[in-house]
Amino acid sequence: MNARPIVATFVGVVFFLPLYLVLVNIFKPSAAVVADPAGLPFPPTLDNLAAVLNRPDHLFTFGLINSIAVTALSVTVLTVFSAMLGHYLARSRHWAAKVVMGTLLCGLMIPVPVIMAPITTVLKWFDLMTTLQGLVLVNVGYYVPFGVLLFMGFVRGVPLELEEAAALDGANRFRVFWQVVFPLLRPASASVMIFLGVWIWNDFLTPLIVLGPDSGTTVTVGVYRAIGQYQSDFGSVFAFMFLATLPILVFYLALQKNFVKGLTGGAVKG
Amino acid sequence: MTQNRTRGARADAPRALPSPNPARGRARTARRPRKPGRFLPALGRFSLFALPGLLAYTLFVLVPIGMTGYNSLTNLNPFNPPTQFVGLRNYVNLLSDAEFHQALLNTVIITAIITVLANVGGLLIAMLLDRPTKLYVLLRGVFFTPVVLSSVVISVIWQAILTDDGLLNSALRGLGMDEPPGWLSDPDLAIYSIAWIMAWQMLGFCVVVYLAGLQGVPRELNEAASIDGAGPLQRFRNVTWPMLAPALTINVVMLLITGFKAYDQVRVITNGGPGNGTTVTMAFQVVQTAFVSNRIGYSSALAAVMLAIVAFISVVVLRFLQKREVSQ
Repeated sequence: MNARPIVATFVGVVFFLPLYLVLVNIFKPSAAVVADPAGLPFPPTLDNLAAVLNRPDHLFTFGLINSIAVTALSVTVLTVFSAMLGHYLARSRHWAAKVVMGTLLCGLMIPVPVIMAPITTVLKWFDLMTTLQGLVLVNVGYYVPFGVLLFMGFVRGVPLELEEAAALDGANRFRVFWQVVFPLLRPASASVMIFLGVWIWNDFLTPLIVLGPDSGTTVTVGVYRAIGQYQSDFGSVFAFMFLATLPILVFYLALQKNFVKGLTGGAVKG
Repeated sequence: MTQNRTRGARADAPRALPSPNPARGRARTARRPRKPGRFLPALGRFSLFALPGLLAYTLFVLVPIGMTGYNSLTNLNPFNPPTQFVGLRNYVNLLSDAEFHQALLNTVIITAIITVLANVGGLLIAMLLDRPTKLYVLLRGVFFTPVVLSSVVISVIWQAILTDDGLLNSALRGLGMDEPPGWLSDPDLAIYSIAWIMAWQMLGFCVVVYLAGLQGVPRELNEAASIDGAGPLQRFRNVTWPMLAPALTINVVMLLITGFKAYDQVRVITNGGPGNGTTVTMAFQVVQTAFVSNRIGYSSALAAVMLAIVAFISVVVLRFLQKREVSQ
């Protein structure tokens, strides 16, 4: 039994090695990365990080702004839309609600590559190709089924009597929803925001195609663009990746408890 | 307008908010002609609450799916008009397309490897970490970190490690190995490296789901089995493992779907190479055919086949595994 902490630590350390290599090599000059990849960075240098921030093409800084804008906007819109749709579907007994539910469930399993080409066609109809608004709309459409599914489960836990009481007191549908139901759905909103925030930030194919090669792009696609230029200057590549990951990692760590709970909540019958 | 809506809400409140007990809501309105009264408010609420989300979903998922289906029956190529209806010719051509066969095989290899590796590894590590002290909680975080990172970032890390003059081979040369393997440049090896990278990233997901499952196994069950003389192996087989059935279902379905839509790693690390399409997956072929060769029609047929496989997995495998859960 006493072997458990040793074995567990050993497996954890081996598993973590790739990430360790990233963390130490960010702070080394290129020559040291090749000569001694696994060694600790002494003395540490901030040149790699500074180089990423001061790139003449602003690949990182513009990408960061785009990523924050797209992720924040998509997640906000998605939370509101899927809460409303999820609420409707959970409460309605109309046949149309069942049909919509089924269609949304199908949408959950559609891989992006399958619909990527027609998505660009639809975006061109509205002149939204290579725009951030277009990317936000695609994200909203694609991730709405996930949000709805999560919200529906939570809406069922909100007592209907609360809504009836508010309605009898004269609140219209919007007030019932915004002032009674939506505040009670906060745990679901948190889960949706964390899940979708991480996914949308990390998305690769959708921004790659929708934003196109000429206009600005997101940081995640920026990582992909950067590796071509740096060739095998791992220190710089790692620094770019580190800075591109930092915001979403902080966001995730701040709300981590909800995330893991959301991941397994209701999924595994205890 | 606002007046109207408010009054409407008040008037049909008991009906518009159906209660679990239908008799209650119906009591007052049962004698009224139900059809229009029931349908219209439902539609009204429908448009207000359901429409924005549904509109986006329709525009960017449903319409594109329909277009993929229709385009797969044409020879659509924006740079090579006119577009003609070709019936099932794209699908027939798929049968003799060597690149498609390779892509299908590669996708199956990746899917099989990550499903087995991440599940077996995830279960073992979950059992190792199934203790409440700080060390194990910290280690859970370690294993879960790659799940939160972008697959692009994971790909770049592993590319730096596995490339010919990368960090791993430098270390191997340092240990005296003259010609370390070309993990990503050997056509026979590259696909397995890609699978390994994906399995590494997904491992933490399996760990977390299995841990949640393990924490749902009542301690009394294991104690009772222990008193009855069951050894650790028997306890695992007859007590723990059956209780983990729902966790297994989630992990297997999740990994199968992840494997079948593998794209990012291939695009970032090998771009389909080395050699002639040795790491091309179905998703990669779909995207390349559409956006590099511009053969949208043919790409749509590929996409339709891919979707059919994913749908098959989602429905059939899920059913099968869930039946297994219920029977226990």
